[in-house]
Amino acid sequence: MNNARVLRDIKARNGVLKNEVTRRAYLYVARNTTLPPQIRHQAQLQLNTFGKYTRPTTVKNRCSETGRGRGIMSEFALCRFQFRLKALAGELNGVHKATCTLFTLPCYT
Amino acid sequence: MNAVRALPSKMKTITRLRCEIFQTSYNPKNLRTGAKYLRSRLRGPSMMEYYPKTISLADVKRECPELEIVNEAEEQRLADVEDRKRRGKGTPKKAKKKEDSRRSAKKR
Repeated sequence: MNNARVLRDIKARNGVLKNEVTRRAYLYVARNTTLPPQIRHQAQLQLNTFGKYTRPTTVKNRCSETGRGRGIMSEFALCRFQFRLKALAGELNGVHKATCTLFTLPCYT
Repeated sequence: MNAVRALPSKMKTITRLRCEIFQTSYNPKNLRTGAKYLRSRLRGPSMMEYYPKTISLADVKRECPELEIVNEAEEQRLADVEDRKRRGKGTPKKAKKKEDSRRSAKKR
């Protein structure tokens, strides 16, 4: 079960997917300095009417297990602790704990 | 020397030709044409792939209502809510005015 923050993030992702093409079109007009300023301003006003959950910057990669927002390994969609737990349990393919058995250096204290 | 002096104009034509061939926008004055917003890939589809897909009982129920699946946990929750309402412990009504809200009542 996803927590509320993850659900909100999924909502943002859906919004971005739906509105991306129209947003890009307005962005193109608004940022094009060769077009008349009035048209550019109109496009900017239209951009401002889009909701909060249509901007790609609202999307944040969160942990798919716990919903944590910090310390995420995006390749696995897990936070650092969940990554460790899963890696130690052998649930992540190709990930294993690093150990150095080749050189056993003497430890001087 | 002649060849060196002719280079900038030739470079210009070469760039223009390259833009025509590869269908990119020719912009010798480096004006802000907003082409980068059209050029970059759409990021929505890859954003949707981030979380692993999960199937809940509610999703199955929505997809095929003819199966008549009973979600017991959900039924129990609704029954509990009804029960709480009957005992006068339901959710409070939404405040019509700002003074009615609990938050503003706390401040005073």
